[in-house]
Amino acid sequence: MPIDDAALPPWSEPVFRAVAEVRRQARPGASRPSSPSSRGGAGLDAARRGDLARLDAAGAALKAALARQDADGAEWRHDARNALGALQGYAEMLLEEPGGLRGAMRAGLEGLVAAVSEAANAAAGPANPLRSPAALASGASPAEPPPPHRVPPGNILAVDDNPDNRELLGRQLAKEGHTALLAGSGAKALAALESSAVDLVLLDLLMPGMNGSAVLRRIKANEAWRAIPVIMISGQRDMDGIIACIEAGADDYLLKPFNPVLLQARIKAGLERKRWHDREAEYRAQLEQREQFIRAAFGRYVSDAVVNEVLERPEGLKLGGDLREVTILMSDIREFSGLCAQLPPEEVVRMLNAYLGAMTDIIMRHQGTIDEFIGDAILAIFGAPVSRADDALRAARCALDMQAAMRGINLANQRAGLPAIRMGIGINTGAVIAGNIGSERRSKYGVVGHQVNLTARIVEQAAGGEILASASTMARLRALSPAGALSRRRRTARVKGIDQPVILHPLQRRSPKRATTARQKTATATRRTRTARAARAAGGGP
Amino acid sequence: MGHEEPGNESWDMRAGQLKVLLVEDNAASRDMLSRRLRRAGYEVCTAADGAQALRQARALRPGIVLMDMSLPIKDGWTACRELRQAPDTAEARIIALTAHAMAEDLARAMAAGCDDYATKPVDFPELLRKIEHWAGAARQAPAREGAQ
Repeated sequence: MPIDDAALPPWSEPVFRAVAEVRRQARPGASRPSSPSSRGGAGLDAARRGDLARLDAAGAALKAALARQDADGAEWRHDARNALGALQGYAEMLLEEPGGLRGAMRAGLEGLVAAVSEAANAAAGPANPLRSPAALASGASPAEPPPPHRVPPGNILAVDDNPDNRELLGRQLAKEGHTALLAGSGAKALAALESSAVDLVLLDLLMPGMNGSAVLRRIKANEAWRAIPVIMISGQRDMDGIIACIEAGADDYLLKPFNPVLLQARIKAGLERKRWHDREAEYRAQLEQREQFIRAAFGRYVSDAVVNEVLERPEGLKLGGDLREVTILMSDIREFSGLCAQLPPEEVVRMLNAYLGAMTDIIMRHQGTIDEFIGDAILAIFGAPVSRADDALRAARCALDMQAAMRGINLANQRAGLPAIRMGIGINTGAVIAGNIGSERRSKYGVVGHQVNLTARIVEQAAGGEILASASTMARLRALSPAGALSRRRRTARVKGIDQPVILHPLQRRSPKRATTARQKTATATRRTRTARAARAAGGGP
Repeated sequence: MGHEEPGNESWDMRAGQLKVLLVEDNAASRDMLSRRLRRAGYEVCTAADGAQALRQARALRPGIVLMDMSLPIKDGWTACRELRQAPDTAEARIIALTAHAMAEDLARAMAAGCDDYATKPVDFPELLRKIEHWAGAARQAPAREGAQ
């Protein structure tokens, strides 16, 4: 075919040059004689030689189409694009074929593929929107970076009772790469939400049966669906309905017939909102995880209240403290040093751990803060870091529960062949300095002050099984539980370091009868719980 | 049709079962695309004009139709509309293959009932992604409930 090469458009030139290069590489002479894999042609098998011939023919077809570009309207463009497609396709097929191609041949084919891609874009011309619809339809392709701010596609539920509208929506969503779930009724929409993860809902307002606003209400009433953006779709005449839906939680609306570009823009905005929401939820989950870690790391030593304060206040970890009124509870085991001498060390530790574990549970249940274990002794605080009106009463009930729990501990000790232990408790209320005490390297939340020392003296006075409360604690208890004076007795004691005799009140359950009843149930598995419950009931009121 | 087979989760099974009808009048394009699709694991049948495409579609029930729009005897737009109207073939997913890259041509293809389109020269990996996308969509029964 006589073709004036000068008439060919400039963008086609690299393509023809690449085709000529591939043809040159395919010639028998191009094969290196030393190559052992050489067999006929350029060392190519029959199938490849066939594809090379077809590639060559496509090159000729391209030239023929371009030669007609002035003569026949749009036909030449169609033929040229087919020819470009064939060139690229055959070149890619030859490259894909397993078994080595010679380097020069491979390079020639790769050059051709690149030249065709270039030509396809150049042939489209700057005014031709070839690139943009293709990018819209296919998303990112290697030759074409995705447009900036493109929102990744999502799962979109389109709800419309009209099948034509539904199909149209489905197609428009697919065009943007979204996965479309189509539902023809409100009930089907809810079923789809149940079964699939939906990122956004397009919801027709007027539908027979359950209408759009009813579906919207169901979505917004469901904890798991509430964050899914909903875009209402409606005819102009339902403006009041649209407004009601937006008030009920719909994110946006579109009026029929709607502009596809507007639809995509609204979807994009909705998906973006959903993604921010998801990201925020993820961030919250991470924070929660971190918080759980802190709880796990510190929760063994301090109560939840301290952990909360540390977590909630950045200054919570600052050294220093404040003066505040707390009720201090101290307990220790009578004759513990004697026990230690009798038992092997590992037995002592085992027994102590069981005892301290049980006591820790009880103290935490009463919202006390365990300040310290000193050997067998426990120092617990009620009222720091969080002060509550019933601090003294909780401390007293806690002490009663601790004594009640001793029966269970001793039963277990008995079964394990260990001796029974008896514990004394002292409770005192007064002002202390509470805060993080220590050095930068090692600090712990704790209390210091004269009242702490006094409590230590009080607990020395308590016999096994006894709870002694100071006068100040007793005053708080009377105020908190008017009829429930937990003790009708008092005694005075002289303690080390204090000049005046100290008045002490032994605390007991108000109703010895009920306490006895509780004691009889100790053999059951729920023993401890019941005892605690009975103790609370007994200590709680009239 | 491929999408009616139960439990067809894996690529291999899907690719093995999915029938693709390639409608293309250009012999080189038809040869090249049909061979590449077979290599990719699809069962491929071909037609060279719109009338032949309709006959093939009715007989073979392909899940996916790749349709060139400028076809002799019966053009792609007419063939698409007829595929959509016949109950036997309405479920097929149609991807328009078009050399016409202008927006109005694409809109025209979509209006004729195409689900998607690919412009020539075809980006083959992209075409495979689209085929898979629509083959997957065809399996989702709720997505097509209103089509009948």
